[in-house]
Amino acid sequence: MKLNERSVAHYATCDSPPDKTGFLFKKGERNTAYHRRWFVLKGNMLFYFEERDSREPIGVIVLEGCTVELCESAEEFAFAVKFDCAKARVYKMAAENQAAMESWVKALSRASFDYMRLVVKELERQLEEIQEAAGGDSVWTGVGGLQGRPKSSRRNQVARSRSGASSSSSSSSSLSSSSSSATPMTGAFPAQKSLQDEAQIISDCPKENGVAWSKPPAALANGFGEGASSCVAWEACADSGNNTVIGYGADGARAPPVPRRRRGASLESPVSPGTGCFSKLHDWYGREVEELRVQWLQSQ
Amino acid sequence: MRFNEKELMSLSRQPSEMAAELGMRGPKKGDVVKKRLVKLVVNFLFYFRTDEEEPIGALLLEQCRVEKEDSQSFSIAFLDEAERKYLFECDSEEQCGEWVDSIIKASYEFMRKNLIFYRTEIHRLTGKDPLEQYGISDETRFQVNNGQQFTTRDTSSL
Repeated sequence: MKLNERSVAHYATCDSPPDKTGFLFKKGERNTAYHRRWFVLKGNMLFYFEERDSREPIGVIVLEGCTVELCESAEEFAFAVKFDCAKARVYKMAAENQAAMESWVKALSRASFDYMRLVVKELERQLEEIQEAAGGDSVWTGVGGLQGRPKSSRRNQVARSRSGASSSSSSSSSLSSSSSSATPMTGAFPAQKSLQDEAQIISDCPKENGVAWSKPPAALANGFGEGASSCVAWEACADSGNNTVIGYGADGARAPPVPRRRRGASLESPVSPGTGCFSKLHDWYGREVEELRVQWLQSQ
Repeated sequence: MRFNEKELMSLSRQPSEMAAELGMRGPKKGDVVKKRLVKLVVNFLFYFRTDEEEPIGALLLEQCRVEKEDSQSFSIAFLDEAERKYLFECDSEEQCGEWVDSIIKASYEFMRKNLIFYRTEIHRLTGKDPLEQYGISDETRFQVNNGQQFTTRDTSSL
């Protein structure tokens, strides 16, 4: 099966921050000795390099759907990454000490995209609850700067309008057809950029999902806060073809576009125990780690 | 670069939110548009020959740019080789828009940013860190300042 390997390798070494790095011993496939490798965990991808300063990874383990277990091994501080598919390879690793082992086991068992998605959904839900509870005081003033014009419309039922806007606006796109002239959004906007410029870039620009989330100029918070420092500026751009909902926190931080609501609002995850309840699923992940800990203690 | 192909194959069989038959053209000169079953699973885009069980290939959707090329087609390019574009032809403008939207949101990094935003907001509104009850406040992947580079990145190219 083909994979965009060059770009995947680039992801390993680009300046997006890794979730964890360190040396681990990895058992070879053919040569069954343990080899010391430099590991870099980014998202659900575990890269391994020959040396810490190697420019390219030797390989990558896609961690989606894996479980992490302690394993019987002559090696101390050993654990295994296992998958639920037929004839899957078991990746045996060993850390250099107990703390490192526990830390890696924790990090790897929470590395899946699905887990992250669940956490995000849960926080999104919590935020909506908080806003609904706050009722009329929850001010979401318009950023309309996306059109170059400030708007200030209040939306109380943020959850409703937001999800409505996401699904209706996703069918049209603000992406410019003149993509050749679009400026790539490769990084943060300098603080001096005006709101209008920024809005223009957002509207014209192709969307990159590797982009750093930038802080807009401080002036924005003053201009749109409607006087309250606790306000969050938010605009559901259901009109004029914007396909992203972009908001601004009162501290000036720009909110990322809202993830589209899944039909049926199910938290069913395809690759881990199905449960609609985040707490339950989270407990499941936590329990795994606990069990490992107990096992290790007992084996001492 | 080695990768765990069997597991990736297995992943390609998972249920997916977005799967459709699209025209797909590779990034190389001379590549032509071919009909492919394109399937989005977590942060991977798999593509199959119609009616085949195993995908021909997969694209990891991190550090990539998705753009509309015209009313019914979009492209994916990776930041390390931005001129090489994968082109996808849809059946309608609406479908095209849905795919673009979904792919943008299909990256781990995108989700991480969402999470940080929600976490910060909830904390700001309630004074409490929502992750604390789950015991994951300290996880590196959830940190606001996990090396986020927006204060230091060179923006002269903008």
